[in-house]
Amino acid sequence: MAEQSFAGTAGRAMTADGDRSARARLVVLLLCVMLALSVFLSLTSGASDASAVRVIRDWFTGAVPADAALAARDQLIVYDIRMPRVLLGVLIGAALAVCGGVMQGLFRNPLADPGLIGVSAGSSLGAVAIIVLGTTWLAPVTLALGTLALPLAAFFGGLAVTLLLYAIATRQGRTSVATMLLAGIAISALAMALTGVLIFMADDRQLRDLTFWQLGSLAGATWPKIGTVGPVIVLALSAMPFLSRGLNALALGEATAGHLGIPVQRLKYTAIVGVSAAVGASVAVSGGIGFIGIVVPHVLRLAIGPDNRYLLPASALLGASLLLLADAVARTIVAPAELPIGIVTAVAGAPFFLWILLRKRGVIDL
Amino acid sequence: MIEARDISVAIGGKRIVSHVDFAARPGQVSAIVGPNGSGKTTLLKALTGELAYTGTVTLNSRDLSAMRPVEAATLRAVLPQSTALSFPFTVREIVRLGLIGGRSGALPGEDARLPERALARVDLDGFAGRFYQELSGGEQQRVQLARVLCQVWAPVLEGRPRYLFLDEPVSSLDVKHQLIIMNIARDFARRGGGVVAILHDLNLTAMYADRIFVLHGGQLAASGSPQEVLNDHLIERVFDCRLKVGALPAGSVPFVLPQSAA
Repeated sequence: MAEQSFAGTAGRAMTADGDRSARARLVVLLLCVMLALSVFLSLTSGASDASAVRVIRDWFTGAVPADAALAARDQLIVYDIRMPRVLLGVLIGAALAVCGGVMQGLFRNPLADPGLIGVSAGSSLGAVAIIVLGTTWLAPVTLALGTLALPLAAFFGGLAVTLLLYAIATRQGRTSVATMLLAGIAISALAMALTGVLIFMADDRQLRDLTFWQLGSLAGATWPKIGTVGPVIVLALSAMPFLSRGLNALALGEATAGHLGIPVQRLKYTAIVGVSAAVGASVAVSGGIGFIGIVVPHVLRLAIGPDNRYLLPASALLGASLLLLADAVARTIVAPAELPIGIVTAVAGAPFFLWILLRKRGVIDL
Repeated sequence: MIEARDISVAIGGKRIVSHVDFAARPGQVSAIVGPNGSGKTTLLKALTGELAYTGTVTLNSRDLSAMRPVEAATLRAVLPQSTALSFPFTVREIVRLGLIGGRSGALPGEDARLPERALARVDLDGFAGRFYQELSGGEQQRVQLARVLCQVWAPVLEGRPRYLFLDEPVSSLDVKHQLIIMNIARDFARRGGGVVAILHDLNLTAMYADRIFVLHGGQLAASGSPQEVLNDHLIERVFDCRLKVGALPAGSVPFVLPQSAA
């Protein structure tokens, strides 16, 4: 291990007695404020000049607006377009960031990320299969499951990839990160090839849906969609705080975590199922939004350290805020058209990821 | 008491440890010695449940394989040979992990200060705020020992003895810290706990061990007190080295033994 790279972070992240929990609590508090501001900004900004403030004020005061037609339009925009979109952004931003943090803890590597190692690709394959084959070969599935078919397919696609990766990369209780990353590339390629076959089979209407969806977007946010994937994400994320102590112990290695009294197998399975569920649900509604899962936990580790009891909630808050801000950029920068949000997160996230790699060249032990 | 009967371990179809009987009593330091590749670490990993084994291992008369991780964690702590981290933890954060699953056995309200006290015991006073990755190998090993000490701070909990498993606890340390760490082990045993340690230094072994288990080719070559075990014949047979126990070097060649510590 190269020590000098960590020395660089020392000045900022250290306190005299090595206890960073007070600082971590403060950061979590500040991130709550940041999220509230991001939500406000997202509700009030957009392609239309609808005033969210007025709509919300009218709702609270019960005032009858002067121009009824304009008020009805504003209400529609705020309640049925912006609000579900903001809520979806919060859910998905939190899910992606927390899943990144959990994956990194599980694989004991700061570069593990559901998008990077193929979990998202597996989810995409499942979702695309339902979109393209949902009316033909997979018609019985979509008939039986209704609106749940897409998120469930995405979930099982992600789960299959995660389990496969774990089986390939783990030998005698040790998970090899090099094997995991390389196997992730191979599995991603395979999943994308199969997705490609499905896209080849798709008709024009499906194709347009698919392209936009694959680049990642919150544009499709509706209340029914939130009703379907919201509970899945909330359930998966609410399991994560129970994993944080175990993930902390896992930083010392699986054997040592076991000696410390952590039921390691159960921890791993819970984490894998939770990540697959949350990523699957996210991918099902918003497509592949990259780099949130790798950038957010990394920045937070510099600020408050790697203790997952604080890292995971802080990741949820920062992930949600950043995704809302990215979405605000995506829908205003080329207004009235809008950019897929995946492009925004990739343009900002990819250089950041390279920067991590360059800084840690000596430390990351593949 | 830790009792192991007829322990065999195979890794990848190759048998590393065969039919070893082992017992470590509370109040004693039990040392496992042997040449490289003789199966010492593998035996220790079987005794801690880390590797699958055939035979039986009991901790205080309870079958290890039937214990939940948290039950085993309250009875014994394990120090591995070395621990690398991928995230920038501070020393205090690492030591605190010792309190995660088991029960330190310290007085109520004392747990919060245990990391500092454990660090002071391993001569790392003032290191709590340093980053683990910035420390030298020997310092990292002592941080890990402080973590392990937090886990079983009281050698006896509710009348039941607890145990320390140490895999080469002093191999990367200078002589002063070798003595400090071995004194911690002996103190833990004197206060009623049990210690199982893999050691390479035969002089330290003779000085601190109450019982020695000698492994050779995965089998138990000898066991007993230092006086019974450490003789010219055994050392030649097991270590393939013609050494004379207790012989002084010729002429003016200086030699330094830990036994001479004042």
